[in-house]
Amino acid sequence: MIETLLAALVSGLVLGSLYALMASGLSVVWTTLGVFNFAHGALMMVGAFVAWTVSEAAGLGLLTGIAAGTLVAALLGVLIERLLVRPFYGHRSMLLITVMTTLAAMIILEKGAQIIWGARLKQLPRLIDGEVSILGATISAHEAVLVGLAPLILFAIWRFTLKTRTGRSLRAVGQNQNSAALIGIDVPVAFAIAFGLSAALAGLTGALLGSIRFITPVMGAEPLVKAMIVVIFGGLGSLGATAGAAYLIGLIEALLIVWLGLYWTPFVLFLMMIIVLVFRPNGIFGGKE
Amino acid sequence: MDNLLTVSGVTAGYGPITVLRGLSLHLGAGECIGLFGPNGHGKTTLLQTISGLIRPTSGSIEFDGRELTRLRPPHIVEAGLVQSPQGNTLFGDMRVQETLELAAFSKHARDDRQSNLEKVFALFPRLEERRPQKARTLSGGERQMLSIGCALMCAPRLLMLDEPTLGLSPRLKEELAQAVGSIAKEGIPLIVVEQDVEFLMALADRLYLIEHGEVVREIDRANAPDHDEVMRLYFGEAAG
Repeated sequence: MIETLLAALVSGLVLGSLYALMASGLSVVWTTLGVFNFAHGALMMVGAFVAWTVSEAAGLGLLTGIAAGTLVAALLGVLIERLLVRPFYGHRSMLLITVMTTLAAMIILEKGAQIIWGARLKQLPRLIDGEVSILGATISAHEAVLVGLAPLILFAIWRFTLKTRTGRSLRAVGQNQNSAALIGIDVPVAFAIAFGLSAALAGLTGALLGSIRFITPVMGAEPLVKAMIVVIFGGLGSLGATAGAAYLIGLIEALLIVWLGLYWTPFVLFLMMIIVLVFRPNGIFGGKE
Repeated sequence: MDNLLTVSGVTAGYGPITVLRGLSLHLGAGECIGLFGPNGHGKTTLLQTISGLIRPTSGSIEFDGRELTRLRPPHIVEAGLVQSPQGNTLFGDMRVQETLELAAFSKHARDDRQSNLEKVFALFPRLEERRPQKARTLSGGERQMLSIGCALMCAPRLLMLDEPTLGLSPRLKEELAQAVGSIAKEGIPLIVVEQDVEFLMALADRLYLIEHGEVVREIDRANAPDHDEVMRLYFGEAAG
């Protein structure tokens, strides 16, 4: 019993790390632009495929592949902002329009990946071979890298938004665009940086996940849905709340899989999401607006 | 022409609504001018157009011999033309200290960040006390000080203040009026929008009365109106 519980905890930690990386990317775009990017999961998928192409097809090594996947996803993110989000800025239905345009981007990227890379399943080698034992539960060393890396990346993003000039300018733009422009901040540049950073995070997550799961054109859909549940739980406003909710959802999911099985787990997660939306629309960690 | 700022024939507005109708004014080097007139007649729109937040449909704006009309806000701030906006919501979740540090954003403002910060704190000692506080916890007067402080951090060569004493108590109003006066004494040219004409006349070299998006009267020391005339300008003949 205890062993099962520990195994579930550790597997929840792995899931939580994945969701934290995905959700923090969504949060960066939301706090700066007020846009929910539905193409975020597809950007993750592109990161994984590009990493595979560079690492396996071109044989340039896994680290080069991960870097390339991150970079290409970042560039695509900037492109999506430029072509599909910026034209609708200041429009009074902007939020709804960008839901549609980023959903369109998701479909284009998924179908595009299908055409470019085909339907055959692909997988990346692991960063480190072997296994690691945490609290008596065993996970692959690669998953342990993901677990260790996620808090470091979250901490780096947090410091970036709090302490650097560029990071502060993103927060300023998110809180008051006109005032930001009047102290000399280039608002469109801030938008591009936010989208690029967020997409880079997605690409990196995808490239890391490509060693654990199969790389397919729709591999980003499920993490995106989970990241959405996370941001609804945590609220989108603060990085700390988003990260906390990510680990919480990861743990709950792992425990539910043990107790209820794979089939009923999504049902319960969505039920919880609906309950949170009804009673705490700003998220369980979210402040009152 | 040795004008620092020349606004000629500017027409601008919001979508289909035209607010400024061919407005022209100028500001000489080292001069301080005031804009007054009824609400909703284009004073704020004019400042926003000069700052690049609104694109004029016709006319031109020249600053220090350089055409600004089509430039975007960050380049206008970089040129030294800075505005402290009305309302002053600023960045609610940012602390006073980091807001001021961030405001020294443009390249030329960054070098003087530390000395400008000291100047702002000398001008508004209350901001120094409130350094770790978030902007949305500040009082109306303190927000106004922060807004002006931010504009000063941008190292302005011309500073535009949009109703710096709006909605403040008489005591705070006096405090801010003095601060604005000492900014003017430092030699920073000012454009001040205000409802309080007497305050403006004490501060500015010339005043423009703006109505229906046009300059309807230019006032300087030679033709300064007395109190009754100011009342008439505002409220029409009935008030006289």
